[in-house]
Amino acid sequence: MAKDITIYTTNTCAYCVMVKKWLGAKGHSYSEVNLDDHPERQKEAFEMSGQLAVPVTVITKDDDSKEIVVGYNLAKLAPAVA
Amino acid sequence: MVKDKPAVMDATSHKIWDLVTIGAGPAALSAALYTTREDITTLLFEKGVIGGLAAITDWIDNYPGFPKGVAGLELSDNLRLQAERFGAVIELGEVMSITDKGTHKLLATTSGDIKARAVLIATGSDYKKLGIPGEAEYFARGVHYCATCDGAFYRGKKLVVVGGGNSAVQEAIFLTRYATHIDLLVRGDSMRASEVLQHELNDYKDKISVHFNTTTDEIVAKDNVVTHVVSTNSKTGKQKNIITDGVFIFIGLRPNTGFLKDTKIALDEIGLIKSDSKLETNMPGVFVAGDVRSGATMQIASATGEGDTAALMIREFLHDLK
Repeated sequence: MAKDITIYTTNTCAYCVMVKKWLGAKGHSYSEVNLDDHPERQKEAFEMSGQLAVPVTVITKDDDSKEIVVGYNLAKLAPAVA
Repeated sequence: MVKDKPAVMDATSHKIWDLVTIGAGPAALSAALYTTREDITTLLFEKGVIGGLAAITDWIDNYPGFPKGVAGLELSDNLRLQAERFGAVIELGEVMSITDKGTHKLLATTSGDIKARAVLIATGSDYKKLGIPGEAEYFARGVHYCATCDGAFYRGKKLVVVGGGNSAVQEAIFLTRYATHIDLLVRGDSMRASEVLQHELNDYKDKISVHFNTTTDEIVAKDNVVTHVVSTNSKTGKQKNIITDGVFIFIGLRPNTGFLKDTKIALDEIGLIKSDSKLETNMPGVFVAGDVRSGATMQIASATGEGDTAALMIREFLHDLK
């Protein structure tokens, strides 16, 4: 089970909108870090994902382990938040 | 009087949908607007972004009705809202195959098997890959196909943009809001971009350097960080390293028709779907509209128009079924 979900986004990223829409449709709440508003947190997103891309979704599980999904990838996102 | 219909259904709401669209880009959303207003039950399947490539385009200046232009994301969202207003249902998932069962089509999807009396294929297209060394290896770590998604990671950095068409020029201009300098590598000796965009490009001479007759041969990295692109001037044969922090590639489109490989739906030589004057494919009841149709002009405005035309043809087809 996901205890916490954080999404790193930018203002113009359509895939970020899709991740938020999908999580919302599945009843998951999430917090958002907008990298256009907080460019100082870009490094943090890169260090977590290893990629220079958004969306980055960080799923913290009940046992505090983290799973990271880059992009709008339902095949990875669905099991990660289940 | 116009009556709004709330979209409260999901893919399993009907035993047989009147229409299932594969894709939810401008063509499918426009078709859905027309069909739902005729009480044709309509389900749209989208495996990527609602709005398709239009949604990931920074700014659209050539869609009628927006004298100041419109953000791709905003246009897509408006198309979605308008279709949903009349009852269109959007399912986030993928259609893997279509089988003609005579009275209906059977679609194998990530949400299970779905039955439809008519199908509209509007899967659009995606950006082509260069197929050069380094491209796949450094994808999303220095190699990108979506400026509006990943451009923000290049604040204060140098970039290479590959391509000479509308997308390449428009996205290069968009990326100037982040990058200090952009080298635009164009394979041919002239731009394919519209005159308007080429004029606009002239305003960015201090930030965008255009290199014509230049092939992009390799993307090179050191310690997993992209450092330069190896390019060749096709006139002189001279090779040159172009220092960069990242590469954005916009070299044209390839149709999203891979899921049709086991069907008998006819494709042309580049993989676009063939249709007749009613936008119907060679599988009766399966229609096609937008960028994925052979002969399409690959414009958002023409995609919405084709979607509307297909909707009217589908209405006729469904009427004749009764």
